[in-house]
Amino acid sequence: MDEQIRSVLAEHGRFPVDVATLDDRADLYQAGMTSHASVSVMLALEDAFDIEFPERMLRKSTFESVAAIREALTELCATAVE
Amino acid sequence: MFSQQVAESALEATAGALCPTNLRVGADLVEVEQVASSMARFGDRYVRRVYTDHEVSCCRGEPSVVAAGLAGRFAAKEAAIKVLRPSDARPDWRSIEVRRHPTGWCELRLTGEAKRLSDEAGIRSMAVSLSHEAGLAGAVVVAMCDRPET
Repeated sequence: MDEQIRSVLAEHGRFPVDVATLDDRADLYQAGMTSHASVSVMLALEDAFDIEFPERMLRKSTFESVAAIREALTELCATAVE
Repeated sequence: MFSQQVAESALEATAGALCPTNLRVGADLVEVEQVASSMARFGDRYVRRVYTDHEVSCCRGEPSVVAAGLAGRFAAKEAAIKVLRPSDARPDWRSIEVRRHPTGWCELRLTGEAKRLSDEAGIRSMAVSLSHEAGLAGAVVVAMCDRPET
């Protein structure tokens, strides 16, 4: 999962730094991800994991780090399987 | 040494002069190319997730023209969010709508969570201005609250 998340971030996050160098808990907004880029990241994650982020997850904190994204996806994927 | 003392005195004087205001301001810039890229990659799904029917209807024409119009509207939504100051959960982008009048000027219409945040902050009026230049779209939102920030 982490590899896919980082791949999406690298393609759509428009970071000025190499995503591979970012720690799991690094703040992605401070690392250079713009609000608009976070929309593309959200849509690309939905494509990659075949899920849809519900409105309650459209929080800045949902996309603020690799770890936070992993946590949200884990919850959504578990729900999708049920 | 002397200049440092002067600078410190100036800072103290400024700090003492700070006072609550009932005005809020937000500004944002968006690269038009980023919007064009999202339109090309995610198509209607991107557009429908972020913009209202009215906003889409106001942005017609060549893809580059559409992207510029939508970029301005995205900047306005982000500027409005800076004014609304949500603690974490951000309002649905579509709950902040840029309404364009036939004469060309724009205003904001808030619904849902955005309206709730506005009411909570005591915002009684809000104005928006959009601008485009050299591949960038920008927006400024100013709001007046019925009480100063505490």
